[in-house]
Parts: sequence; structure tokens; C-alpha cells
Amino acid sequence: MKQFQSWYENHHQYCKDWKARTGGKIVGYMCTYVPEEILYAAGILPTRVLGSHEPHDVTEPHIFGMYCPFCRDVLAQGLKKRYDYIDGLTISQSCLHIRQAFTSWQMHLPLEWSYYLPMPHHVQSPRAVPFLREELVSFKKSVEEWTGKEITDEALDHAIDVYNTNRRLMRQIYELRKAENPPITGLEAMYMVVSSQFVDKADHNKELERVLQNIDGRLADREVGTRLMIIGSENDDVAFMSMAESVGATFVTDDHCTGSRYFWNEAPQDADRLNALAIRYVERPRCPTKDWPERSRIPHLLSMAKEWGVEGVILIQQKFCDPHELDIPAIKKAFEEIDIPTLFLEFDVTTPVGPFRIRVEAFLEMIRGEDLF
Amino acid sequence: MTQEYWRWKENNWKSADKDWTKAEIVTAGIDVGSVSSQAVILADGELYAYASMRTGSNSPDSALNAITAAMEGTGLTLDKIHYIVGTGYGRVNVPFAHKAITEIACHARGANFMGGNKVRTILDMGGQDCKGIHCDEKGKVLNFLMNDKCAAGTGRGMEVMADLLSVPIAEVGPMSLEVKEDPPPVSSTCVVFAKSEAMSLLKQGWPKNKVLAAYCSAMAHRVVTLLERIGVEKEFFITGGIAKNIGVVSRIEKELGIKAIKSEYDSQIAGALGAALFGKALVEKGGKKK
Repeated sequence: MKQFQSWYENHHQYCKDWKARTGGKIVGYMCTYVPEEILYAAGILPTRVLGSHEPHDVTEPHIFGMYCPFCRDVLAQGLKKRYDYIDGLTISQSCLHIRQAFTSWQMHLPLEWSYYLPMPHHVQSPRAVPFLREELVSFKKSVEEWTGKEITDEALDHAIDVYNTNRRLMRQIYELRKAENPPITGLEAMYMVVSSQFVDKADHNKELERVLQNIDGRLADREVGTRLMIIGSENDDVAFMSMAESVGATFVTDDHCTGSRYFWNEAPQDADRLNALAIRYVERPRCPTKDWPERSRIPHLLSMAKEWGVEGVILIQQKFCDPHELDIPAIKKAFEEIDIPTLFLEFDVTTPVGPFRIRVEAFLEMIRGEDLF
Repeated sequence: MTQEYWRWKENNWKSADKDWTKAEIVTAGIDVGSVSSQAVILADGELYAYASMRTGSNSPDSALNAITAAMEGTGLTLDKIHYIVGTGYGRVNVPFAHKAITEIACHARGANFMGGNKVRTILDMGGQDCKGIHCDEKGKVLNFLMNDKCAAGTGRGMEVMADLLSVPIAEVGPMSLEVKEDPPPVSSTCVVFAKSEAMSLLKQGWPKNKVLAAYCSAMAHRVVTLLERIGVEKEFFITGGIAKNIGVVSRIEKELGIKAIKSEYDSQIAGALGAALFGKALVEKGGKKK
């Protein structure tokens, strides 16, 4: 389990070592709608580009002040040359903020290859799968032209298998969090999922299997406290998770693109591999940029909360994240209707631990209804 | 030395007729806020003594300073207090407290004591933040909302304005009500912007009372928008230092169309009072009693 944290803390070193070890190419991706399997099948390591949670001002000339802190933090990492080992960069259409980080990166930093994938927004349309399939054909072709190698069906099958295994194993671990004493904390789950976004999935799978072998009875003595779920935009804010779990709570599940949304569903079996991938990405738990006209996410969130025995929900959004902001009132209302209270917090590059702590503690006091009266 | 107009008066009070030595349970609440620290001592759940002091750079010292001022002349010592609850921004740094409880819970409990069990919506206007709280008839929190990362609508903002205009802080409210009609408010989203606007108004020749009216209106509007996000019930109570500023309170009441419930107690002690009441409940429920 410590391995995930160590990977998280040494993201860049892991990638550099991987490159030295394999001689392969590394592609940074900026959104989890990117079909990593195609890159992996080409022998490329996809690595998610994340922020560093440090205050900085290098993005000021390049990106609007009212764009979300995450996309600014991501671009800052590029400008500070922290991803100087990546050979290419890609993004799938999700929101305009992160897309500006992508275009600015293309403009200011050297890249052998870059690709903007028009992932359809209207994923609820029956035309979304054929649309995406055709886009994946172009994406695959572009990767092949860049590397000079054909991506075979066998390679795709292998990549899909490795990725599906990763999803299945993480899902298995999430299932165990339904227990009265979850064997892993929310912080550990975050390290696990976020590290899976840049570690070679074959390495990650081995570690997941090791963890699963030794998970029985793990954290049996830890005080669980209030069972929380955290929902919202990109979140790898380990300082926040750690603080919240230190004041009498445990995150038992989540809905983040750095959490369950990333790995929840597998690619189906299909002789047409790109069609299988199109189905997988169209049907995955949705990001609010794509979840319309129905809010299909809400029934999923509510049933997850019931199954995982959630007592309170923390709703977070990166400041200025309009898609999440638009969904939050509806999500809040849906939870209140089933008597699960919610707490809304707005995240920024750095974590204001003190002000967040008071909110979280007061929220927990409210839920626990301690014998103070 | 030039006068510091923001300096509100530190104070303490003790009951003239109560005697802690006759009480079965003596509890205390210490509220270490960002600007002020209060200590409240209860003898069998009744208000016995309190103090309201400025918070220094060190929370443990501020807590000790407040409780020492509250105990002054009573013969009480820390070891004679059965249970001490710390609250406020520095709640986890009160070394002699038995438990820390958030100021949100404590303000709701304190308001329930001060304004009676009819109180349902509480506005706490503190030194560096501002909260809207809903509670039940016992003073238990049902919902709450806090302002984010901004000093507008807080005591610190008012202190800045008092200093700028050279008006002692206690006179700000009454002076702001001298105007016949409220001028347009200054910025309600940022103290720094509000201060620059106030400076330019002064340069334009506005009298102090008019500038203060513009600032008090802005502050009232600011907290009303916070309250409207959470909803306001007519059983409404205001706690915290700004509750003493009639210029802000009357404008909030006007904007909401609701009169705040009046209380005989000092609005600043609500948090510490709630903490001390929780202390008493904890002793009765089998907690620590020396």
C-alpha cells in the first residue's frame, strides 16, 4: 500500500526511470477521456499531467485568471519544465479551461507529437459511440504515423486486458470499503488511483494483487468515525483528505476523475477493438461536461452512497469550474432528499487547511449529534 | 503615540451574587478567535464570570490570558474547573482544555442560551469570518454556511475602516446612522477595495458619517447575501463582535425585514458560553469531574 504513496510522491522520477528502463516514449494526457489503451498498445506510457499544489505565478501571462486553479497548476508544471521527459501530449475534449492549458503548452513547450481528440460531449446520444469510434481511428493513425509502427489487434487486446485488469482490481478494493471497517482509508485510495494514472498498469496491477492478498483485517483497529463520500472535479489534494480523515471520519468512496470515475467500468469484448473502447469511454461514469440532458450521474451517486453506507457527502469543486458548479445544486438536493447531509467546499491550488478544518469538523459534529445536549 | 481607533476595550465581568464554591459543577469555555479571545465560566450552568480579550500571536497564551481575566477576583483556579472546552480558530491549541468543539456548534448553543430556545437562525459576525447557522430548539446545528477567504463582512474589515476614518470603533455604528439617507454602498466583496473606495469618497469631500454609512451598508449587504444562501427564519439572532455595531445590525434588519432577537448578554461571548454549556453537559453525561 505504501508503494502507491511513494509513486504519487515520486511521479516524475517513476516516469524518468521507466523511460531509461524501456527506452519507450511517454505521452502526457490532460483528461481521463483519453483512450490510454491505444497509446499503451503502441508501447507508450501515458502519464496524467497533474498540478503540484504549490503557489506559483508563471501562468499569469498565458491563461485567464478566472480559469480553474487545476488547469493553471497543470500548465505551471509544463512551464517549470517538470514534465520535460514527455515526448507527446494529448487531451480529449472536456472543458475549455484545461483545453487552454493544452494549447498554451503546445505553443510554449517542445513536443514531438500532440493530439486534440474531439471526444463527443453528447455522450447520451446513440450516435456518440460511432462518432467516437471514428475519432479513435484517426487517433490511432496519428500515433502510428508518429511512432512509425502499426498498432496491431494483438497489442490492443493486450492493452485492453491490462487496463481492464487494473480497473477490476481497483474496483475490488473499492468494494471492500463497504465493510464496517474499510481496509483502506480515502487518502490511501487516492494514492492508489492517482498513481494508476501514470504508473505502467502492468506494474500497478502487480502491486494491486499484492495489496489484495494482504488486505484481510487491515486497519481493523482504526476508528472509522463518520463515513464520508467525496464528490467533484479533479482532486488529488492529499493534504485535504489527510486532514479530514484525522478529525474523526473516513472517506469510503468518491466520484472524482482521480477516483472512481476513472476506473469504474471496463471495456467490453468486441472484435472491433476501437468500438469496444468507444463504448467504454462513452459509458463510463460521466464528467459533468458531458452529463446532459439527463443528469445520469445522480442515480449512480445515490446508489453508491447507499451501498457504501455513506453518512455525509463533501461536494468539492475547483474554483471557477462551471460544469461542476452547475451540477452541485442538483446533487445537493438529491442527497438531502434521502437525508444525507452535504458540505460544499471550493478548492484552490493550495489547501487552506485551517478554514477547511473548521467546516469539516462542524459538519461531522452536525452528523454525529454527539451527546452534548 | 497615535491613537489606535480600532482598539476595542478588553473587559471582564463577574457575578455579584453567585458563589462558585457552592456550585456542584464549574465549567469553562474558551473561544480563541482570530481577533478576540473570550473565556466564560459557568457555575451549575449559570453565567458566573467572563472576559473578552484580544488574541495575541500565540493561541495558548491568548487562552490563558482570557481565562485568567475571567477568574480575576473570584479565587478560582484552573484546577477547580471541572471541565474546560476550547473553541474558535485556536481551539486545538488550548492546552488546558479537555475537549475542542467547533465555534459553529458553540455559537449555536450559546445563542440558544442567550436568545432562548426559539432561536433558529444565527448570524455570527466574527473577527475574520462570518457564518450563517441553522439550529433546532436545543441549539444543535442543522446546517451552516461560512464566508470564504475574504475579510469583507468581518470585524477586521470594520477595524480597518475605523482606523482609516479615525473614529473609535464603538462610535462607528451610531455615527453611520447620523445620515438621513444611506449613500450607495462601497465594495462589499473586498476590504482592500472598500478601503480604497472610502479613501476616494473622503477626498471627494464626503463627511465621515456618510462614508461609514456606505461601509456599514456594504457590510450588511454582504452578510445578508450569505444568509440568503442558507435561508433566514424569523427567529433570528446575531452573535460576535459586529453584533454590537448598531449601524450594521439595523441595516441587516432592514434588508431582511426581520428584527433580530435582543439579549441582555454580551454578543461576543456566545462561542465561549456555548463551549462552557457543552462542558456542563459532558460532565453530567459522565465526563471528567475533578
